[in-house]
Amino acid sequence: MKPLLVSLCLAATFALPARADVAEAVQDHILPGYARFTEATRALADIDSCAGDTLRDGWNAAYDAWIGVAHLRLGPVEDDGRVLAIAFWPDPKGIGAKQTAAAFRKADPALLTPEQIAEQSVAFRGLTGMERLIYADTPPEGYACDLALALADDLARMAAEVEAGWRSGFAQALTHPGKDGRYHSEAEARQAMLTALVTGVEFNADTRIGRPLATFDIPRPERVESRLSGRTMRNIALSLAATRDLAQTLYAKDSLTDAAFAKAEAMVPRVDLAQVADPQQWLKAEILAQSIHAIRDAAMAEIAPALGTGIGFNAADGD
Amino acid sequence: MKRILLAALLASASTPALAVTDAEVVKTYADIAEAGYSDSLATAKSLQAAVDALIAAPSVDSLEAAKAAWLAARVPYQQTEVFRFGNPIVDDWEGRVNAWPLDEGLIDYVDPSYGQSEENPLSTLNVIATPKLSIGGKEIDATTITPALIKDSLQEAEGIEANVASGYHAIEFLLWGQDLNGTGPGAGARPFTDYAAGADCTGGNCDRRAQYLKAATDLLVADLEEMAGNWAEGGAARQAVSEDPAKGVQAMLTGMGSLSYGEQAGERMKLGLMLNDPEEEHDCFSDNTHNSHYYDGLGVRNVYLGSYTRPDGSTVSGPSLSELVAAKDGALDTQLKAELDNSVAALEAIRTAVNGGMAYDQMLEAGNKQGEDLIMGAVNALVTQTASIERAVTTLGLSAIEFEGSDSLDNPDAVFQ
Repeated sequence: MKPLLVSLCLAATFALPARADVAEAVQDHILPGYARFTEATRALADIDSCAGDTLRDGWNAAYDAWIGVAHLRLGPVEDDGRVLAIAFWPDPKGIGAKQTAAAFRKADPALLTPEQIAEQSVAFRGLTGMERLIYADTPPEGYACDLALALADDLARMAAEVEAGWRSGFAQALTHPGKDGRYHSEAEARQAMLTALVTGVEFNADTRIGRPLATFDIPRPERVESRLSGRTMRNIALSLAATRDLAQTLYAKDSLTDAAFAKAEAMVPRVDLAQVADPQQWLKAEILAQSIHAIRDAAMAEIAPALGTGIGFNAADGD
Repeated sequence: MKRILLAALLASASTPALAVTDAEVVKTYADIAEAGYSDSLATAKSLQAAVDALIAAPSVDSLEAAKAAWLAARVPYQQTEVFRFGNPIVDDWEGRVNAWPLDEGLIDYVDPSYGQSEENPLSTLNVIATPKLSIGGKEIDATTITPALIKDSLQEAEGIEANVASGYHAIEFLLWGQDLNGTGPGAGARPFTDYAAGADCTGGNCDRRAQYLKAATDLLVADLEEMAGNWAEGGAARQAVSEDPAKGVQAMLTGMGSLSYGEQAGERMKLGLMLNDPEEEHDCFSDNTHNSHYYDGLGVRNVYLGSYTRPDGSTVSGPSLSELVAAKDGALDTQLKAELDNSVAALEAIRTAVNGGMAYDQMLEAGNKQGEDLIMGAVNALVTQTASIERAVTTLGLSAIEFEGSDSLDNPDAVFQ
């Protein structure tokens, strides 16, 4: 009897923790990433002046931290429109700029309270809402400055909520799936991770590069992400680094995928999407997009079979 | 003992004989698609007749009759949207008939508050007022507005998606005009005199406006004819899903999941709500968005249950995806059916509220808690059913884990040397 009990206990010990892939992604990639984002937005919210470069520096640090987790389109960030509000882009109809202009016309101080600002349109808020204010032709003063500071507080609130949501339940739902949770099985949790990885990688090619690339005949350099702040290429570099890290935590032996990442990352410094109207630059940008698609192909060839799963439905399924 | 064993064997052997096959399920799917596009075509022809009557004798009544015909045409069409994702033949074609949102200033006059889009130099082109056009540095003769002009020169001009020149929403704009009420009550209010002859004409260029409306409606009919043919016996779309029935079943689930989640719950409903922008509604000129959303949701359920109710009340039905899933996992089938009913009910609740006096665009207003709850109720129901659709994919062993070939692995680096 006794030996049997021991072996049962052993089996239980080995069976309890979820597979290392998802658990490692959560512990080593997701939670530290959100902690950095909370930290950076808190530091941004602590700034109480629009003078000098302090606000821009804080904003850039927060943006850097956001790119570290922006590919994770699952969990608390999907609630209450947070992912849309944190960095609303692309905005093809220029809704954010219109709503910012409308707010200036009213200059309503009541709008700046935490409760009111949280109710405003996602295109008006977040990192992109702040960018319009702190990278305007003239430094923000008066109402524009008050609005920028209020948006910084709003960002810090959302970041804290997202991290708290992960730590208080969503991480557990992923690493300990079960019939009553969001994920019923380890396979479903692995599928969610693979979906985040692949759609996160592809966003760089399809949207960050694809929008300005447009067509060879009519390129659209004005459509780059972070046009005013000039962060365009930095966002792509950081996003590739972040998704590369996620791939590594999901499957440590991802040599094919990792090599594809390395190849694409090496091209980034030589591409400038703001110059995409130049045919030479256009071609370089297109090749970078192709090399990013090659990362997806490698991940599907290597990591998907290792995890035994495919891609699930995702936010990019629409048009 | 022997008899019991035999009975047990017979019982187990009979299960596969009763179970539906992939091929039967896919046939039902293609039959529903054929019926849906045929009904879309028939109702578009009624719209065509109503547009002809409006142009021949513009009046309040003939304009209202054309609007009523447009609304009726949307009912079967929206139920076909679920065929779009998973079927490249439909997806490649869909932009011609249902592209949205549009910079309507491309087509006709707009209110001064509309402004010029930063991303679209053609957003105020006003083709109806401009017989000679310049698009992307090319001179275009638009003296006569024809289906070919709309299709070949105007639709997605300069590669900009907001240049929607054809399809339901272009026609909707020509019938209703801009909705200038913001998040307040009321739809577009184009006067019938926008189509009047001579001195009675309002908005200018009434003859050219009539030409545009006629050409766009004729084009819609032609496009729907093409898609109905694609799903008929021997049609390319029917063939594509029937060749390998397992792939066909996968296309069915892809359509259901992609429409539910990324497209309807995300792009169309949640985003509009989070932007508080009254133009972020699908049928923004006519204030018909609640119906568009409802019939989209109904279409998803149709595909799962293998049954479609036509405008004349008859049904097209057959062996269903539901039965296929039930044979593998009865609990999942029961759950997904309940979730599909929930999303249809949540979308119906939006329709009820609209009929009670709160238009969809009013629900988008910042601070309209009741509107937000209604929309988020439907969004959450759609998101919930997506997880079960994903489970159905896995249960049926259809997860696409195989490597999909791509030319992007051959990667010319020459430019970087």
